This record gives sequence, structure tokens and C-alpha cells, in this order.
Amino acid sequence: MMTIENKKGWISWFNPFKYGTDRWMYSLHRLTGIILGLYLIAHVWETSHILDGPITWNSLMVFLDYPFGPHFGPFILSGVLLVAVYHALNGIRLTIVENGLMLPKPYRPEFPYRPKSLKGLNNVLKILLGVLMIIISAIGIYFIFTGVIL
Amino acid sequence: MQELALKGFGEVLKTVTFRVRRYDPEKRELSKYMEYKVPVQMGMTVLDGILYIKEHLDHSVSARYSCRMGICGSCGMIINGKEQLACQTQILELNKDLIKVDPMGNYPIVKDLVPDLSKLFRNHESVKPYIIREEEEPKSEFLQTPEQREEYAMFTDCILCGMCLSACPTNATDELYLGPQSLTQGYRYITDNRDMGFNERLNVLDSKHGVWRCHFSGACSEVCPKGVDPTLGVQLLRQLLASNSFVKYKQKEATKGPERKSVSGVS
Repeated sequence: MMTIENKKGWISWFNPFKYGTDRWMYSLHRLTGIILGLYLIAHVWETSHILDGPITWNSLMVFLDYPFGPHFGPFILSGVLLVAVYHALNGIRLTIVENGLMLPKPYRPEFPYRPKSLKGLNNVLKILLGVLMIIISAIGIYFIFTGVIL
Repeated sequence: MQELALKGFGEVLKTVTFRVRRYDPEKRELSKYMEYKVPVQMGMTVLDGILYIKEHLDHSVSARYSCRMGICGSCGMIINGKEQLACQTQILELNKDLIKVDPMGNYPIVKDLVPDLSKLFRNHESVKPYIIREEEEPKSEFLQTPEQREEYAMFTDCILCGMCLSACPTNATDELYLGPQSLTQGYRYITDNRDMGFNERLNVLDSKHGVWRCHFSGACSEVCPKGVDPTLGVQLLRQLLASNSFVKYKQKEATKGPERKSVSGVS
């Protein structure tokens, strides 16, 4: 039988369209994970310059603060903060639900079928994630721009 | 009243374009899209539309179907980007002038809209989807309370359409992943109080490509045409296996009914 491969491939990780919130959060979790991984590599490279002495270090710090114009550095840092906060909070949510906690007991599905595992307490966790993310990133971004902890 | 209920029946309400992905195994070409204009009447499903194309426009269009009422699970395909049973999807409810029909993803295509589901059946077989007992021939019935049945009843509704494996993003990159369907069926037989085969299934479920590969995207539950909720099944199985590494899971013992000479009915 001559068949042809039809794998959706890694590109489908970032195709949550037509699906629900859990699928969107999965895609965002993947995306933020990749961004964080790249950021950590860049971060290690950046801090390794401390071995080259204070002059190199200071000029690098100035460059990172003004890469494309004044005060562009804090904007990048704020982006990294948002990414990290989402990845961390969603990671906690996934740890909870992936161990079968806060999910419903087996139930009788009734037409029209709406999966209960994606609703109920799982939805409460998602809302909690959103609220916490707003609070934490507001405090964090305020600190990045002003240097003052609220 | 009857006239009102039948209003619009038999009339062509609108014409929609079907964009069907075609692959001909004999020509060895890459798959391509072909468009067909289909007149739509009230109550027409996507499967009816494909059969209309086959009947009137292009006889070479292939699709797999059988019951036409969402029971056999043969006609799963990607309709406008989401896995759905073609026989249960009303064209008018889609409310689009262009309907894009693709074969299910993550399976090899045999022809046009026909996927090769052997991977699904192989995975399903590997979790031993049957009751395993130590004794060879039971002497009596195994009793089960309604509450004990309720623990797994929802997972028995699976019709093996394979749409969960098509929607699953883990399955898109991991060829050996068992998939939501098989994992849920594994859980269904483990929680059955008549079953004694937990240890036999453990090495398949608790493996690198088993239950730990699920990342909770919930896509399988969303596309399931029977509301089986495989996401829930997989997470409950994971909970069971995780707790098994601390406290060994003890299978429930089914109480036996009165002993009979023959369980085939004649005693």
C-alpha cells in the first residue's frame, strides 16, 4: 500500500486556533519555554563578560540598556519578566492538574458534549493565574523602570 | 404547523465550495487541493457533501464512512481546521462559504481523505483492552455495583475514530506516543474491579512514550465526538501511576456471585 506521511510536526504546537483555552495555554507554555531557554543562554553569555574586567562589563551594561535607543533595555527585561511569570504560574497549574488534582470525578457525558476536565476547578486555576500574573508583573515592571519595590 | 416545520426542506439554500485535499497513491505526487461547488439543502452534512461530489462531480474522491450517524467513527476528518466527524457536521451550521476538508493529521494517508489507522489500533492493542484474570475459566459471575461501574463507564464510550491522536500536539512529533485513546482505555480496564492486569499493563503505560508524555493541551477532549474526555482519563491514570510509586496500587477484588456449573447460561 502506497501511503504518504501526514505528520503535523512541531509547527502544530503553535497552532491552537479552533481549539479552546487549554490548547492556547499549551502553545504559550511551549513558546515561553523556548524564549526562556534562549534568554538563559544569552544571560550566561552576558554575565560571562565579567571575567574581562570592569571596562568591558560596564560598556556591555550600557549597550544592553540602550540597544536600539534610550531605555529600550527595560522593555526587553519587562518582556522576559512576563514570559517567566507566565511560564512559572502555568507550570504550577499544570503540576496540579496533571496529577489529577482539581479535576472532576468520572461523570456521565451528555449531549452536547462539553469536557468537564477543561472546566470547573481547572477554569478557577486559569483565572487565578491571570490575576496573579497581572499583580506580579505589575510589581515587577514597576521595579524594572523605577528601581523601587512596591 | 407541518408546513412550517418542513419549510426549506428539499430546496437548495446556498452553494458552498468544498476544498478537498487530494492524494492519488498511483501517481506518486504530493497532495493538492481541489475545489468543488456543492448545492446545500437543509440537513446536509459534510459527508453528504462529499458523497454529492463523488456522485455528480468527481468519482475519484475517496472517503471512509459507514453508519452516517456518528456511531462507527469512520469518517473523522479535519473540517475547517478542526477534527470532526463528517457525518455529524452540518454544512449550514458551519456558516461558511468555503469548507476546507483535510484527512486526519498524524496518520499516513492511503488516498484522499482516507487515513491509515493501523497505528491507533496497534497502540490500543498494546494496553491490553480486555479483562485480565488469573483463573482460566471463571466458575461464577463477578459482581459489580453501579458505583464501581461509574468509575470507568464514561471511558467505555470510545468509538476508535482516532480524532484525538490527530488533534494531540504531542503525537504530532512523537511517533511512538501511545496517544490519549490508548491511555484512557488502559485506565478504563485498570479501574474495572473485575480486572487483575495492572502489572501486565504497567510497562507499556509507565514508559517513556506512555502516560508521562501528555502535556495537558486538552485538544483530545475537545474533538472527541462521544464526550469521552480522554484528558481526564490520562490525568487520572497519571495520578494512579504516580501514587503507585509511593504506595503500591492494590487492584479491587470483585466479589463473586453464586457458583454455577456453567457460565454459558445452562446450569
